[in-house]
Amino acid sequence: MLLNGVRQAAIATSSSNKNLERAMVSSLRESMHLVSDPRNLDTSVEEVFKLMLGLSCLRYTGPVEIGEPESVTAVVGFGGLLSGACVFRSGASAAIKIAAHMTGMEFTEVDDTVKDGIGEICNMLAGAWKSKVPDLAANCGLSIPAVITGRDYKIHVQAPEFKLHHTFEFDDTSFEVTIICDGLQ
Amino acid sequence: MSEVRTLIVDDSSVMRKIVERSLRQAGLEALVVFEAGSGIEGLDVLKTQQVDLILSDINMPAMDGLEFLRQLRAQNLAPGVPVVMITTESSEEHVKQAIQAGAQGYIRKPFTVEQVRERVLPLLKAA
Repeated sequence: MLLNGVRQAAIATSSSNKNLERAMVSSLRESMHLVSDPRNLDTSVEEVFKLMLGLSCLRYTGPVEIGEPESVTAVVGFGGLLSGACVFRSGASAAIKIAAHMTGMEFTEVDDTVKDGIGEICNMLAGAWKSKVPDLAANCGLSIPAVITGRDYKIHVQAPEFKLHHTFEFDDTSFEVTIICDGLQ
Repeated sequence: MSEVRTLIVDDSSVMRKIVERSLRQAGLEALVVFEAGSGIEGLDVLKTQQVDLILSDINMPAMDGLEFLRQLRAQNLAPGVPVVMITTESSEEHVKQAIQAGAQGYIRKPFTVEQVRERVLPLLKAA
């Protein structure tokens, strides 16, 4: 439900030209190894955190638990040639640290500024990830970020075409970034 | 550099602060900043304030950055004032659309202070 809404928004914002899209789909399928290359996601995360937060973060490959009752999730939908979403998820403490690095302010709770910052981080991650594949950069739109906060919720996605799910660590805390592709139009 | 009156249009208040901080770090210390959360708000600001520089996001609710630029030109608001788009959209097509709509510069998010310095300061000197 949530991802469908975000995706529709992304479709509406994409600069779609149907004839061009048909020609590009075959090109994008041929580039599938690039689209689903996990290194693109790692590079995108490193780039966004280094440039916007001045932070180095490392991919963590072990099992991960957010470990906090409250978590923050931001979703940016992809629309156009590729439909899907970029999902950022962290515990409240990681979200607060990220927002503090972005703004130079101190936060004690996940307030509107923290949510805004996490939405913008997810937006930049989605943009950086799609820019790694030229066909995607030109023919895939992004939705406005949606941010969800709360406790004990799960996000369910039905059988995606592919999914990248990576966890990263910085400053003794962690966050997850997931790229879900549920279809090439 | 003397006072630079700058309009920053972005639906994210955090991003507006980051852009403002980057401009100051790039050397524009005497900034007077006007903020707008959408293209519509940006046009409203320009009806009452004179500015020397406009920086705008593209993906925004209500009125996106490209439509904001088109309306800016159509309503002859801020004539001759340089406009720089700051956005996650980075394809040549998006850059072309922004230039056609009247932007003089384009910065992709995430960005460095050095990129802001290189792409914004020359526009102010030329204006």
